[in-house]
Amino acid sequence: MLFNSLHFLVFFPIVVGLYYGLPARWRGPLLLLASYYFYMSWRAVYALLLLATTLLDYYSGYRMSQLPTKRARRPYLYLSLASNLGTLFVFKYFNFFRDGVGQLAAAVHVPFAAGPALGLLLPVGVSFYTFQSVGYIIDVYQGRLAAERNFGRFALFVAFFPQLVAGPIERGGHMLPQFRRVHAFDYARIVSGLRLMAWGLFKKVVVADRLALLVNPVFNNPRQHPEGPLLVLATLAFTFQIYGDFSGYTDLARGAARVLGFDFNLNFRQPYLSASVPEFWRRWHISLSSWFRDYLYIPLGGSRVGQFRAYGNLLAVFLISGLWHGANWTFLVWGGLHGGYLVVSTWARPWRERLAQLTGLAARPALRHGLGVLLTFTLVAYAWIFFRANNLGDAIFISRHLLSGWQNLHGRQVATLLLEFSQHYRPELAVAFLGVVVMLVVEYFGRNRSLQLWVAAQPFTTRWVGYVGLALLILYLGIFNSTSFIYFQF
Amino acid sequence: MSTLLLRLVLLAGAGALGLLALGPVVLRGQVDAFYGRFTGPPAGSLVLGTSRAAQGIQPAILTARLGGQFEGPLLNYAFTLTHSPYGPAYLRSIGRKLRPEVRNGLFIVAVDPWSLSLTGPEGVFPEDNSFIGQLHQVSQNPNLPYLTRYQTKPLYRLLLDYATATERLHPDGWLEVNIGTDSTQVRARTARKLLDYRLLAASQHLSAGRLQALRQTIALLRQHGRVVLVRLPVGPSLLQLEQAYQPGFDQLMRQTAASLAVPYLDYSARPYATTDGNHLQRAASTAFSQQLATDLRTLPVWQ
Repeated sequence: MLFNSLHFLVFFPIVVGLYYGLPARWRGPLLLLASYYFYMSWRAVYALLLLATTLLDYYSGYRMSQLPTKRARRPYLYLSLASNLGTLFVFKYFNFFRDGVGQLAAAVHVPFAAGPALGLLLPVGVSFYTFQSVGYIIDVYQGRLAAERNFGRFALFVAFFPQLVAGPIERGGHMLPQFRRVHAFDYARIVSGLRLMAWGLFKKVVVADRLALLVNPVFNNPRQHPEGPLLVLATLAFTFQIYGDFSGYTDLARGAARVLGFDFNLNFRQPYLSASVPEFWRRWHISLSSWFRDYLYIPLGGSRVGQFRAYGNLLAVFLISGLWHGANWTFLVWGGLHGGYLVVSTWARPWRERLAQLTGLAARPALRHGLGVLLTFTLVAYAWIFFRANNLGDAIFISRHLLSGWQNLHGRQVATLLLEFSQHYRPELAVAFLGVVVMLVVEYFGRNRSLQLWVAAQPFTTRWVGYVGLALLILYLGIFNSTSFIYFQF
Repeated sequence: MSTLLLRLVLLAGAGALGLLALGPVVLRGQVDAFYGRFTGPPAGSLVLGTSRAAQGIQPAILTARLGGQFEGPLLNYAFTLTHSPYGPAYLRSIGRKLRPEVRNGLFIVAVDPWSLSLTGPEGVFPEDNSFIGQLHQVSQNPNLPYLTRYQTKPLYRLLLDYATATERLHPDGWLEVNIGTDSTQVRARTARKLLDYRLLAASQHLSAGRLQALRQTIALLRQHGRVVLVRLPVGPSLLQLEQAYQPGFDQLMRQTAASLAVPYLDYSARPYATTDGNHLQRAASTAFSQQLATDLRTLPVWQ
């Protein structure tokens, strides 16, 4: 079930109505039932997989809570890790590694019988809910979190429908106490959740899905579009598409949770305003980056080890993060690129400072910040090519042709180029551009203040003109026949 | 809770009011290039085929010239190569659109090699998954099943397209297309179209299943009136490609028509102006429809 579907439009009000209408003790079971229904509406049989891993994680956590030492708890940690990571490996990575080993064997002329590929469909959201469970288990193992004794509550923590299929990846310490509390009907909070949902829907159906119309023809067939200007436009369009899509999804998820009385952590903080790549990763998909930081980077030693080991840790974390997004070389390169950016950024810090002194930029912090934002945006946008391309060959083709064809631009009308880019739908191009501008202006406006508080402080008439206007914009400009959110595939 | 509900109802009401602007467009059937054909009453006579027939044959002209000699209304029920090549799905849809009691209808069945071709294995017809295969209500206004499942444009485009009227679907099903017809534009479009059809020719084959469906369609229609098989005019370059792709197509159509005792009119090489080598220009479509009406009157089945 997609957040932007008619199905969800019926499902969600029913769940909310029942939730606040039922006595408090029935609300948890209702949410659990609703969450499994939500998941089963995609492919019912995979709910069994979700249930099985939930049972195993609950059991592991419960047993660990009865054991005093880490050493005694360790077998249960391994059991849980094996089940979660094993599920991920079988459903997501088996064929990738099988092909990789086969190719490696062929390259070194070693006979290798790879065996048949697994024809399994990737369970939606599997990367998200397994990471959430793994985080919980590690926290319990480390003694940072008391194991949840109530199975229903734990199952709801894993399967809570607003964040089940694409995050944010929440922590047990943040969510489990919320599941224990009774959430009374709160008009202001519900309205604030609905506002967040409406804004998320705008970013998804007006901005992201419209940009997809421009991006897909180029990225699905780059060899038919070997002109640099077109490839740069498509890359820029994807840069904003993925932001609109994923941050739109997150706003919908956070808004839906807020309506039900729950708070999810912030997942995006104006990432394209970052002045460096490390800053970008503190603002983009925050729940995943912080997960990797806490459960992989720091246990590996983080930056408290020797310089080269620290660089190795960074690279390893980002390569694994790339692989987390998908079993494809393109994601691995994307992760490697970001890892490389971070290593270079850390290594070159003294040189950058010296350069800033030499050029006088150190005395002009605003200009230096602006240049940093521009450079970071360019690096991030370039890396998105590998994220979006269907295969490594396409990504390399696009990379190699980004700078070609610009010399012909003066002899060719820019309007013709744009028209070609928009597949002959000139209005769609204009709406896409306006949508991106609106999205960026609103997000920029909200960088130093709470937009929710700002909206709530406006006079009734102003607010309602805004609500009706946003509703009509979504209805009239929205594209409602699209496929799912990009991050559902991970 | 009641305040929230009241305000949500108010918001929904405001949204619904905002959508009222679409009312005239939807009720006039101007949603897209197909919708209007599913909002009119069941037809007594039909024009069938793909986009060539949709744009090339004007029922109003045939009715004006031959009116009274066949049962109306005559509806152009031709869609596109993607939606309405001859096959089981189109046959079922035709059955739904046709008034069952009609016995004196006129049925123009437009054929070309593409509308009888298939990509992939026999028996798997891609149009089964489109509205032609899945829409059961083909005569209701507004047609909510179509609007909710197959209308894919963002709503603002309904108003914009209606205002600019590049494409206008007439109540009789004729799709009027108003695009530039200066020679440079036509040449560019023709080159693109030719490229598309070359790719089609390389990937498709003449389908036994589609031919069988064409025969079944003609057999069904013969129970309801007079059937005429027609091959519409196309530009010389596309005709050349069609002859290279299916050199025996014309002969096959003659044999099919003869075996089913229906006339076959071949206009493929007639010099009518097209917008892209494939579809007739608006004026050419008028001239062609007039010629078709004249020729129909001379056929033995008309006597």
